[in-house]
Amino acid sequence: MLIFPGLSFALTFVLLMVWYERKLLAKVQVRVGPLYAGRFEGILQPLADFVKLLFKELIIPKQADRPLFMLAPTFMMALSVSLLALIPLSPTYMIADSDVGILIIIALLSLSPLAITIAAWASNNKYSLIGGLRALHQMTSYAIPLSLSILGVVVISGSFSLLSIVESQRNSWFLLLQPLGALVFFLGALAELERVPFDVPEAETEIVMGWETEYSGINYGIIMTAAYVKFYALAVLFTVLFLGGWLGPEIVAPPIWTIVKSILVVTLMMIPRGVYPRVRIDQMLRFGWAWLLPLSLVNLIMSLAVVALLK
Amino acid sequence: MTLRYPESRLGLPPGYRGLKAGYKGRHILDMEKCTGCSLCAVMCKNIASAINMVTVEGPFPKNRKAIFPQVDYGLCVFCGFCVDACVFGALIMSTDYELSSYDKPSLIYEPKLLASPSAAPGNATFVVTKSEAYHQHISPHLPPQKTER
Amino acid sequence: MSELTISVGPQHPGSGHFRLIINVDGDRITKATPDPGYVHRGVEKQAEYREYLQNIPLLERPVISDSNGSVYAYVLAVETLAGLMVPERGQYIRVLMAELNRMMSHLYWLAIYGIFLGHSTMFMWPFGDREAIIDLAQRVAGTRLTYSFFVPGGVRNDLPDGFKDETLRAFEFLEKRLEEYEAIFVKNPIFAQRTRGVGILSRNDATRLGVVGPTLRGSGIDSDTRKDEPYDVYDKLEFEVPSFPDGDCYSRVLVRLEEIKQSMRIVRQAVKSIPEGPFRLRLPSVMRPPAGSVYARTEAARGAYAYFIRSEGEKTPYRLKISSPSFRNLPAFGFLMKEAHLADMPTIYWSLDYWPLEADR
Repeated sequence: MLIFPGLSFALTFVLLMVWYERKLLAKVQVRVGPLYAGRFEGILQPLADFVKLLFKELIIPKQADRPLFMLAPTFMMALSVSLLALIPLSPTYMIADSDVGILIIIALLSLSPLAITIAAWASNNKYSLIGGLRALHQMTSYAIPLSLSILGVVVISGSFSLLSIVESQRNSWFLLLQPLGALVFFLGALAELERVPFDVPEAETEIVMGWETEYSGINYGIIMTAAYVKFYALAVLFTVLFLGGWLGPEIVAPPIWTIVKSILVVTLMMIPRGVYPRVRIDQMLRFGWAWLLPLSLVNLIMSLAVVALLK
Repeated sequence: MTLRYPESRLGLPPGYRGLKAGYKGRHILDMEKCTGCSLCAVMCKNIASAINMVTVEGPFPKNRKAIFPQVDYGLCVFCGFCVDACVFGALIMSTDYELSSYDKPSLIYEPKLLASPSAAPGNATFVVTKSEAYHQHISPHLPPQKTER
Repeated sequence: MSELTISVGPQHPGSGHFRLIINVDGDRITKATPDPGYVHRGVEKQAEYREYLQNIPLLERPVISDSNGSVYAYVLAVETLAGLMVPERGQYIRVLMAELNRMMSHLYWLAIYGIFLGHSTMFMWPFGDREAIIDLAQRVAGTRLTYSFFVPGGVRNDLPDGFKDETLRAFEFLEKRLEEYEAIFVKNPIFAQRTRGVGILSRNDATRLGVVGPTLRGSGIDSDTRKDEPYDVYDKLEFEVPSFPDGDCYSRVLVRLEEIKQSMRIVRQAVKSIPEGPFRLRLPSVMRPPAGSVYARTEAARGAYAYFIRSEGEKTPYRLKISSPSFRNLPAFGFLMKEAHLADMPTIYWSLDYWPLEADR
């Protein structure tokens, strides 16, 4: 339980994912990524960075709110890891099964803005305040289309449990039945993870690091790890909801299919980082409310109509 | 387009002699031609003050005072005006650009070190460690000499 | 929420050696005050202690990404003072190097614009392609960025053999890359969304504030020192001065990209029609120009660069005054950033192409 789909696997996958992202971006940008740490093309570089962060000094500003300041990274890590626990990799390799799995996931995703606001407020820094407010706006605005697109899948498959959602994709993947829903989920996930082009809260050239400004050393390491674990969790969620989870020809074991499909989703989510600049906060909010929300509502209504007609 | 240095390096044109274009790297002194006129030191004095004249042992037929330039690469800006100033053509600039060291005194190149034309000055050896990713440049640690005019 | 005062200070990833004091109300900037002076080194005073030839390494260092632009005006001023006629091959080589430097500076500018907007590929690609131009300049002058190549009386050494073929080959490569930049960076929908209609400088405001360079040309005024007061062989070469009428950040980007293409055109003509002959006048290395004062102006990459030199017949100048384009563009900061979004601050700041070292000298 702890080894394969659990925390050790997730953390190893996260380390490999960080390496993979740096190498992928390097290829796009005509350069070589990490090269020296580890025998093979710098594969131990993320581990080296993590160990380096362990050795750095934890600087806590004097006027900051100490208990809340130290609580925020732990809170974020707890959220990301509990997201992991609910998403199955295959029927034999899962940690927690629940009839209302999707609802719990939506609830957990909606708690992330709270963690970020705690971090921003407790830092007692103007840049953190601006960054935290931007993150609050962004995450709450994009959580709604995200949840609505998940509801579209629930309507078609008829249950809240993730196991039965994958089972009902035996005939055709939901990507083909719900293209709009998949698109909205993809963009909403990019916004939840604060990845480019939606990395407004972390806009380096305007507000230094936004709400992460005052975090140094292992605090920053925990925040980054929590972000990448959430990335992994959302990618596997996309696979389970839209790409058929562990369904595939029986040449290899089912969990391998889930992992292969998640790697594909992860690559797709990493590519915009090399292609797009950052959007401005008001343009992003306008996009979320004026485009994504109506699209997800249209998607939901269409799915309800199709299901009602077929009955 | 990115090179994996230090395994592969860029190719460079030959060093600067003042009339044809060339790369401005470390200086190379020809002790047979230098007469100790100090024009290079005079030219450099207001630019970077990197050249001092020092005495060297041994009789030199053209150089009665036996003084030669000593270049401090911690101060040199590689402008090449000293090469232009030398009337006798005793200074040229080579393609050696890997001049970093671990301490300041070994950046001061005395005339005998300047005179050796190989790519690695003096007794330098390239030591490649196990990971083949770094190279250490060991140059002889020499204390700077007092200047005399 | 009440107003916050943020100091986008010298220790900030988005400001360089420069401080901007911004008053923010929610997401809108109400007032922006530039605070230059952090890198003032007293270059003008230091120049009074050095001979005319020894001033050249000193004066090329403030503007390091376009070092020939600043030394060009100095060299022209000294030649006017001493009454020297530079041989034609020297003039052609000077024009060539100045245009190569202009291309280098604009590509650097494009790359840093990518960082300011959060686009890391827009940072990496122009820097990589700039290496092609730096390689050309290195063949001519010997160093990559600070050449010490222009001297009063011509240039210090001749072009190497095979320079023409290398240049033409490098320019073929660069033209392909510039097309890719147009497609990927300039027509990028998010980039266009962030720069169109932002930081609009109308024609009247541009002349009233006294801005120079591509900032001026992005507001519809096609004024360029190379056409208005031609120096060296610019009057014999054919080129256009680009200008776009909108006055927002997007048109300033377009102006600079077009200038890179015009510079390539100039260099191609120069390399094909360069005459044989001497490239430098034989002068004593300690020059004593006759007493008098002179004002000379050239077009560096960022705008009009001007020198005022007064000499008393000694071997060092009596007074040297530098007028740099970044300093002239400073009033535009406070004017353009009023009523802008906070996220527009880096967009506007970098589109004015402010180089702190050049403004502070």
